[in-house]
Amino acid sequence: MALVVPQWRVNHEFVEHRCIVLDKRIGELNDEDGTLYRPEIEIEYHIGDETFRIWTYDIHQAYSSGREAKQAILDQFLIDPKNPIEYVCWYDPAEPGTAVLVRNYMWWVWLVLIVPSTFILIGLGGVIYRVLHWGKSTERRAVMQQRVKQRDPFVAGGAASRKFPNVPDDSDITNSPGTTLRYRLPASASAGWQLFGLLMASIVWNGIVSVFVVLAVRGHAKGEPDWFLTLFMIPFVGIGIFLIVLFIRQLLVATGIGPTLVEISDHPLQPGDSCRLFVSQSGRLSINSLRVCLVCEEQATYRQGTNTRTETREVYRQELACHEGFEVHRGLPFETECELEMPAVAMHSFKSDHNGIGWHVVVEGDVAGWPDYRRAFPLIVYPGSGRNMQ
Amino acid sequence: MNDSMVIVRFDGNGRAYRPGETLAGEYAFDSTVSEDVAAVEVSVMWYSEGKGDEDLAVHEFSRQDVEEGEWFDTRRPGRFSTVLPNSPLSYEGVIVKLRWCVRVRVFLRSGGELVGEREFRLGTVPPAGRGGNSIV
Repeated sequence: MALVVPQWRVNHEFVEHRCIVLDKRIGELNDEDGTLYRPEIEIEYHIGDETFRIWTYDIHQAYSSGREAKQAILDQFLIDPKNPIEYVCWYDPAEPGTAVLVRNYMWWVWLVLIVPSTFILIGLGGVIYRVLHWGKSTERRAVMQQRVKQRDPFVAGGAASRKFPNVPDDSDITNSPGTTLRYRLPASASAGWQLFGLLMASIVWNGIVSVFVVLAVRGHAKGEPDWFLTLFMIPFVGIGIFLIVLFIRQLLVATGIGPTLVEISDHPLQPGDSCRLFVSQSGRLSINSLRVCLVCEEQATYRQGTNTRTETREVYRQELACHEGFEVHRGLPFETECELEMPAVAMHSFKSDHNGIGWHVVVEGDVAGWPDYRRAFPLIVYPGSGRNMQ
Repeated sequence: MNDSMVIVRFDGNGRAYRPGETLAGEYAFDSTVSEDVAAVEVSVMWYSEGKGDEDLAVHEFSRQDVEEGEWFDTRRPGRFSTVLPNSPLSYEGVIVKLRWCVRVRVFLRSGGELVGEREFRLGTVPPAGRGGNSIV
């Protein structure tokens, strides 16, 4: 606040006035890091019958590095005793002996304020939350949160969500028509985002590790090896190499193996339903095996210390089609159709804040000379007789 | 908090229900409950169990409060009734489990709290690992 308030007062409360420059100099401060500088200008101004003569420039009067920049500031102010030039200044009406020649905002001052303010706001929010929920049961709090969610048009789902609470909306799937069958299923995770995530992880991890590796290598080069640092870094370098290999592998799969398309004749599904699936694999590939499977996965998100982890467990797998030993030629994708039959007593798709149950059509390929790949396409399964209830 | 002094019963001693079916029953206080009751909350709800953090949602919630003119006779049972939703169905998974229950929470004037709970199944989904073709 000691930095922000004076800056605010200069810009909002100080009064504009006229002054003449009498002298100027560069103020120096010798610090542990070297010499720091600031511009200092002697000005004279009159308020009523009183004359003020002070050394000033801005309200902070802070020292910083870079003598040339301060000299450039001083050069803007001319001293001519015979024909004095008037300059604009701003003085404090509460204390007329304080004045400045500039009143600019310094962005870093506000940045300094933002950091503690954020913590204060988070703390305040926590206190308000506690006060509002004081003495209320878990169920009553849950009801209040549900009502807030229902009022939020961006959180609450459509009519299907109200009829089937906690069953994900299927509009993302049914809004893309297929060319062979009715709907084209979207891929569950964009390969681009996976690649980007792996690239960032590789850069950050290896960037940090490389600093220590350079230190260790320099020690060896100088003939003063630090064996503890060298041995300590081995597992970290190993993880870095693993990340790079994983990234290259994903890059090869994303760029070398052509797109996989999956289309479905009917959606959403419910237990006992059967429908047609169309699978298309492009590229120029020699495929050892291509499997199309129906998979159900449970997903649980939990906090462990300060980390949030998500665990996925496959609980159901049914092979729908398997083709072995064939070639895919550029411009002539491999295409196949198969029957998808939902188990008669399957659990429906489910999503809550920390838990989920999801159904996917999974295409798994074993390609000669390439890493194996797996592409998943989500399906929404309603509870039994669910579609008739819409 | 004492979990044994509030008893929850379902009509017909039901344990499993279909979506859209009416769940009705009553809650009664143990004869040892002699303190004045300040409020009673009845929730028909589901909650998750398993590896993930707990999620819960309340399908039907009612609160009776003496401050709002309600009066309780601890010798007579209270009733509840609701039409069950289409989802989520009860589920016994490997790392995700979904359970439905009726939870009755009694707030006493002294500041104490009593809780009674009875589970039921919604739907007929078999546990993960049973009822499917090929289970991992």
